[in-house]
Amino acid sequence: MSVDPKSVAAGVDAARSAVPKKGAQIGTLLSLTLVGLLALMWIVLALSTKSFWTYNNITNLFRQGAMIAILSLGETFVIITAGIDLSVGAVVGFASVIVAWFLTNGFPIWAAIIITLLFGLLIGVFHAFGISKLGLPPFIMTLATLTALRGVGLLITNGATISITNDAFTGFSRAEFLGAPSLFWMVVVVAIPAYIFLHQSRFGRYLFAIGSNAEAARLSGVNTVRMMYVAYTLSSVCAAFVGVLLAMRIGIGNATQAEGWELQAIASSVIGGTSLFGAVGSVHGPLLGSFILTTINNGANLLNVNAFWQRIITGVLIIVIVYFDGLRRKKR
Amino acid sequence: MNETQQGQSAVQPGVAQAGTPILVLKKLDKRFGATHALKAVDLTFEAGEIHAIVGENGAGKSTLIKMLTGVHVRSSGEVYWEGKPVALATPHEAIAHGINAVHQEVVLCAHLTVAANLFLGDEKVKFGLLQHREMVSEGQKILDDLGFNLPAGAMLSDLTIGQQQLVATARASKRGTRFLIFDEPTGYLTRQEAAQLFILIRRLKASGVTIVYISHRLEEVFQLCDRVSILRDGQLVSTQKVSETNEEKLIVGMINRSVDQVHYKETIPFGAEILRTEHLSGKGFEDVSVRVRSGEVIGLYGLIGAGRSEFVMSLFGRSPKTGGQIFWNGYPVDIRKEKDAISRGIALVPESRRDQGLCLNLGVGFNINLPVYKRLTKGIIIDPFAEKASADKQIRDVQIKTASRDAPASSLSGGNQQKIVVGKWLNHGAELFIFDEPTVGVDVGTKFEIYKLFATLLKAGAGIILISSYLPEVYDLSDTLHVFRRGRLVSSHIGEKAAHENILTEAIGV
Repeated sequence: MSVDPKSVAAGVDAARSAVPKKGAQIGTLLSLTLVGLLALMWIVLALSTKSFWTYNNITNLFRQGAMIAILSLGETFVIITAGIDLSVGAVVGFASVIVAWFLTNGFPIWAAIIITLLFGLLIGVFHAFGISKLGLPPFIMTLATLTALRGVGLLITNGATISITNDAFTGFSRAEFLGAPSLFWMVVVVAIPAYIFLHQSRFGRYLFAIGSNAEAARLSGVNTVRMMYVAYTLSSVCAAFVGVLLAMRIGIGNATQAEGWELQAIASSVIGGTSLFGAVGSVHGPLLGSFILTTINNGANLLNVNAFWQRIITGVLIIVIVYFDGLRRKKR
Repeated sequence: MNETQQGQSAVQPGVAQAGTPILVLKKLDKRFGATHALKAVDLTFEAGEIHAIVGENGAGKSTLIKMLTGVHVRSSGEVYWEGKPVALATPHEAIAHGINAVHQEVVLCAHLTVAANLFLGDEKVKFGLLQHREMVSEGQKILDDLGFNLPAGAMLSDLTIGQQQLVATARASKRGTRFLIFDEPTGYLTRQEAAQLFILIRRLKASGVTIVYISHRLEEVFQLCDRVSILRDGQLVSTQKVSETNEEKLIVGMINRSVDQVHYKETIPFGAEILRTEHLSGKGFEDVSVRVRSGEVIGLYGLIGAGRSEFVMSLFGRSPKTGGQIFWNGYPVDIRKEKDAISRGIALVPESRRDQGLCLNLGVGFNINLPVYKRLTKGIIIDPFAEKASADKQIRDVQIKTASRDAPASSLSGGNQQKIVVGKWLNHGAELFIFDEPTVGVDVGTKFEIYKLFATLLKAGAGIILISSYLPEVYDLSDTLHVFRRGRLVSSHIGEKAAHENILTEAIGV
């Protein structure tokens, strides 16, 4: 035997060592860029407007950003599996109706919230059932419930708005804890378990594996069907939770609320580095993404930029960030 | 096209005199960033020859093809087509010269008919409307003329990969092609299909078409080709007449080391029986009895559709058996789902590791640990130290060459990707490895690594079931060779094996 695999190996190693190992670094780089972008926007806005760096505006920004953040966090679980959940905006509106209905019918706050979250769970289970058992593409399945859920919500209220008279409930959205709005703390409450789940538990690994190659994951003994249920349920429960928060904030239940929030959630996630092709994503990414989006909207309002421009800016930002992120990934 | 040749009745218009240079490359060079993919290659293709290009993966063959077909533009150097300098800057330009390629992966539209694919981009149109019927009948004529037994009206997706490859060949060899490149054309073909392809290639040659033939199967080079060029590390090693060289010399040229034996095999004593089937029947196979012992390789040989794959898929729980019995470590077991097979310790290294074996854009360590994350979890979180240790152990044991355990699996070579799949299952404690066509489209060096890997597994006490359509491979590597034909086990060769021809005859059933 004169073939020496070691010498081949040495050659391969030499060739490889020229290629820096970048796996985790790309994620870090993107996060730093996003933090920088967010800081830059805040500094510019603070210098150019009188009203940005005021107590009212900052807390307002955090309250608004908190809801998109939680929504996009749930969405991220689904996108990591290479799926998509278009229904989250509709779930928010629907959940606001549910929680308002139970509150006005005399249920205690805790019961109304738990029931609403259970509705969210059921919606997620239904999505996963349609996708894994009926074989519908996630896009279609959640597009269908996007339409249907708004309809169900409108049916329940007969098209009207339910006003919530429970002050203890609505008061929570204005409350503060340790100087930060309580809604912002809700992000922390969701994000910490989400981080442990996604980055430190085996179930998080399985979500990535499914997004990368579902067949390989299945053949490796991963219960892919169960993981689909987990992903879609998490997304819908997060959305239902945001529905509760929204009902607290605006004091009403209305199925037409949160129109277009699914796109904001997806955009936040994508800006935060989640790949729509699956298997790439994090918890901190969508959080940063959602606060960047919220800051753009907030800043545009303060600068008296036409509301229509805000949509255009958001669109351009998505293209620019995803394009540069794609460039970096390709360079590997 | 070529007025000077019109007087010569034997030569068709547009066909250069056989033996004259048709395409000449001078100091052709290509860089991708820091990578020097092709280094000053001088190469002359003569009209009407079949010119083989051999080399390991990464030797520059693909780059060369892509430059000839206008996919990549050269960094420096010159290309002369029939004596005139050409740019070959776009695929369109290459096709306009009559340069075409049949790629290893079929690049056709799966949801169109065979005829529609044949005429794609060149559809028959009357008054702005597609003439479907005309295209089908003309397409059928083309296929029949080529001797391919294929229906022109069928959807491409209904054909096997091998048949699709033939459609791609038919497409590339029609209309005005004068220079045709085949990239690993026989990888997925059955023996009959390969034979049809060879007939076609010889006919194309006879009609004056220049053929470039790229294959890892060196015996095909000797069967088919006139001259052979060896590429190594982006450089041209040599161009020789096939009649003046032999397989061993080619391998030496390709890998720059001498090879006593590519089909590396160690003699390892057999241990206890791991798996036995008795009269096992299922979808696509009947009455199959085999036995695998620790340290043993059993080879399953047969033509595509002979039932080998169906048989192992049943062992792996893909489709439940309809009769007979499976014994695992001596005890009868019921394998109904893949989970049953995986939990017992049966590992499948699938034919297409990209589709079924690996999460390519995730890390090496991730892939290795995927089946065992349960074991690595303490409470609800994964123990990061155990995770690293478990990945590093397999990277070391199976000798995976990777920059780090976090490098994406896609950054590794084919052989090392194969090792990740194996490492993953070893990690899980698998005892029986099913290798389904492990060396399709893999170069000599990588093949050798895979065979070494077999030895590592066997020494560790595992058993191997090897499925291969490549007879020399199963022949040399298996301790027991089983031949399948039409869903049945037609013969089993233990120890001393019959000659290649006899085994082929058994598989074909003449």
